[in-house]
Amino acid sequence: MADTIPLAEARSLIARAKAGDAGALEHLYRAYEGGVYTLARRLTKTAEDAEDVLQETFLEVCRSLGSWRGDGSLWGWVRTITASKALMRYRREKVREADELDETAGAGTRAEDVPLRLDLESAMSRLPERSRAVVWLHDVEGYTHEEIAELMGMTTSFSKSQLARAHQKMRAWLGEGAME
Amino acid sequence: MNDRHATMEELLALRDGEGSEWCREHQASCAACSAELFRLEQLRARLKALPAFVPPRDLWAGIAAQAKRERRSRWLRAATGIAAALVLTGLTAVALRPKPVDTATGQATLDRAMARSQALEQTLKALGPEQQSLNGDAARVVAELEDRLSRIDAQLGQPGVWSGQGGAADLWQERAGVLGALVDVHTTRAAMAGL
Repeated sequence: MADTIPLAEARSLIARAKAGDAGALEHLYRAYEGGVYTLARRLTKTAEDAEDVLQETFLEVCRSLGSWRGDGSLWGWVRTITASKALMRYRREKVREADELDETAGAGTRAEDVPLRLDLESAMSRLPERSRAVVWLHDVEGYTHEEIAELMGMTTSFSKSQLARAHQKMRAWLGEGAME
Repeated sequence: MNDRHATMEELLALRDGEGSEWCREHQASCAACSAELFRLEQLRARLKALPAFVPPRDLWAGIAAQAKRERRSRWLRAATGIAAALVLTGLTAVALRPKPVDTATGQATLDRAMARSQALEQTLKALGPEQQSLNGDAARVVAELEDRLSRIDAQLGQPGVWSGQGGAADLWQERAGVLGALVDVHTTRAAMAGL
């Protein structure tokens, strides 16, 4: 999602919000709720999880208004808070990072139950959470492997290998064959 | 000569503009790897084109209410800290002030301290402190101040512990200082409750 609030307007909104203007905060929420919710849906398991992330993100925005430096995209700042809140859930839920893609993807689903060809949305949803997050953050949001590693508390190599393994899986699920 | 195909990780790096020289040259002459690179570029474009989600409910009212509660709590903590610092300053000033030089001055000081203490006690009573709910930090400060007040009252009830007008005046001044701090805390709490 592109930033819908120009920088000058963003600075003015943040200044008003810091002074206690509830209308400015609501304006920020209305401008970014769709982007935050969409990112949260891509990084979490359920719609309920995404709603929690949406709420936690804007509460953090309200608490941390002073930490936006005002020299970069306000959406970029909010987006990073969103990703951080969503990824924090993995740590809380103690999702194991090792060999996620070696496990059968999708709870209660056996490998032979996989249809021959999935659409892209279904293929993405079959990926384990952390792999899906790496694909989304890198390929769609444009985060570098270094940035993803920092957000996830993992190494750059982990991010790169998760991305490659996720693409291998999706290639097969999308009916596009496996690489030789 | 390396006659293998590029790996997925190598092709993804190439797609992202970070591939090795070998991979770049290889895919230029390998139809399979070139097709795979094109497929990866197309897939990224398809991912970016996936539709956005719309939040099923409007969460703003709940977020705004919670943010307001948190903001109020932060202000109260800050105000309580200031009140505690004022108390400490007041008590230190009382402890370090010079002793009265004569009986008449000592009696006047004692009378003033007693009058101030009684006035503050009335002010505190009017604030109805027992009807105010306090958060953890404020409640802790109030409990400490009330403990101190009890100790001073116990000392005032035992004239043998202190000596003469000077000792009594010190205790009454300290009592007025503690009561002043309690009034500050409860006044701040009442103001914050109106936010």
